[in-house]
Amino acid sequence: MPGDHRRIRGPEESQPPQLYAADEEDAPAARDPTRLRPVYARAGLLSQAKGSAYLEAGGTKVLCAVSGPRQAEGGERGGGPAGAGGEAPAALRGRLLCDFRRAPFAGRRRRAPQGGGEERELALALQEALEPAVRLGRYPRAQLEVSALLLEDGGSALAAALTAAALALADAGVEMYDLVVGCGLSLAPGPASTWLLDPTRLEEERAAAGLTVALMPVLNQVAGLLGSGEGGLTESWAEAVRLGLEGCQRLYPVLQQCLVRAARRKGAAP
Amino acid sequence: MASVALSEAEKVYIMHGVQEDLRVDGRGCEDYRCVEVETDVVSNTSGSARVKLGHTDILVGVKAEMGMPKLEKPNEGYLEFFVDCSANATPEFEGRGGDDLGTEIANTLYRIFNNKSSVDLKTLCISAREHCWVLYVDVLLLECDGNLFDAISIAVKAALFNTRIPRVRVLEDEEGSKDIELSDDPYDCIRLSVENVPCIVTLCKIGYRHVVDATLQEEACSLASLLVSVTSKGVVTCLRKVGKGSLDPESIFEMMETSKRVGKVLHASLQSILHKEESLGPRRQKVGFLG
Repeated sequence: MPGDHRRIRGPEESQPPQLYAADEEDAPAARDPTRLRPVYARAGLLSQAKGSAYLEAGGTKVLCAVSGPRQAEGGERGGGPAGAGGEAPAALRGRLLCDFRRAPFAGRRRRAPQGGGEERELALALQEALEPAVRLGRYPRAQLEVSALLLEDGGSALAAALTAAALALADAGVEMYDLVVGCGLSLAPGPASTWLLDPTRLEEERAAAGLTVALMPVLNQVAGLLGSGEGGLTESWAEAVRLGLEGCQRLYPVLQQCLVRAARRKGAAP
Repeated sequence: MASVALSEAEKVYIMHGVQEDLRVDGRGCEDYRCVEVETDVVSNTSGSARVKLGHTDILVGVKAEMGMPKLEKPNEGYLEFFVDCSANATPEFEGRGGDDLGTEIANTLYRIFNNKSSVDLKTLCISAREHCWVLYVDVLLLECDGNLFDAISIAVKAALFNTRIPRVRVLEDEEGSKDIELSDDPYDCIRLSVENVPCIVTLCKIGYRHVVDATLQEEACSLASLLVSVTSKGVVTCLRKVGKGSLDPESIFEMMETSKRVGKVLHASLQSILHKEESLGPRRQKVGFLG
């Protein structure tokens, strides 16, 4: 949104002072490449949303809410052959609308939320990763809205958003084939570097390449994959995908416990 | 994306064919359709290219303009991508319909060029912190018959190969004011090296196998695809899963190997065609839009 120039007299564009500072930050400390940061996950915390989840991993904090199913806009007519299991025909399947927002104070520089660009791309990545898991055929002509809000970016934000969105969908009671667990990876610059699992913000900023993997743990199917950068040859990327899938499997029991606790809380409440 | 309605029987027919490595038009699983590439088709641009991959028709124009470098990278120029899905391609793209697809393709292009080795951005710098070349790459989708990403990446590479940026000098007076001087000779220009510009290879999973360069009908049978952006040396710069289905981890590894193989062949033939076209010189026959 353009600033209010009649009342607030200031420059059109502003920059943070850190840009002009000498680069004093030390390189991130060497660490075990397969370590996962401790995760705090809680489902069922927003009263106004059908389902919600909050996930914190290191410095990354994501809040996700699910609403629906409600009537889809722009209804489609007609149908095709019905799918297996009494699901709606392809033209009447439900829709999943995902929205990814970054709070303006989430990163080091203040960023006003923009329409297109990175947020649109990450919302599309969320949608493509969650669609294989949700039984949209059971919600004909309906749409489910998933909105993820990144409160603080401490590294692997998309992975945390994916996990939180899957937890929120499960908390909302949406029919799913399996949970979706996300994991981030990054490759440090330099000739002989290995892929690091669950990078911190510092590691991600200095990385030559980054990758986010989304896995459905029980079915062992990769639901989403998004990576870019100078990752080297295909063997290097394949190794990264393997590491990411292993990380997702390790994270799964934590999420199961979180959902069980949320169900107990709901059951106990008067 | 433009889609075509297929009956279940047609889908089964295509799937069974793919299992036997035989596609509807007789190709194997790793064969591309016939590609036609022509550069320098639009005269007002610094570089342009037109690619026809089967019935998929893409026109790319590159315009080089002078701008301010970004604050974080004061010694480099940059590229800006814009994709326009014209209503000629399918009626679905009329009005704002094609915007979503256009943003998705533009974001993918930003991602594949988002590394130091694809394009040498330091050659685009005129004077640090003040002036640099900004290359506006505009992609126009004229006709859509499946496999958009591959065709667009081939067209972008050809257009960047064809781009001629005029040589510019910054002169400084005694008072310190700077003046930009354009060289008098219209043929004195900088060319970009496209050795490391990647091309996208989209692999669609159909049944248990995957195919390269899917037509619209084959895309309708496939639930998930893997988009791999690979350079001529086999370096992968972007990896993305597209579609509403999921992929088996083993298929992902197989698909990456296929993309490396297919990518090498694609790059080799594209380079040879571009050099051959260039060597024909100014007297070559331009086919343009009527051929």
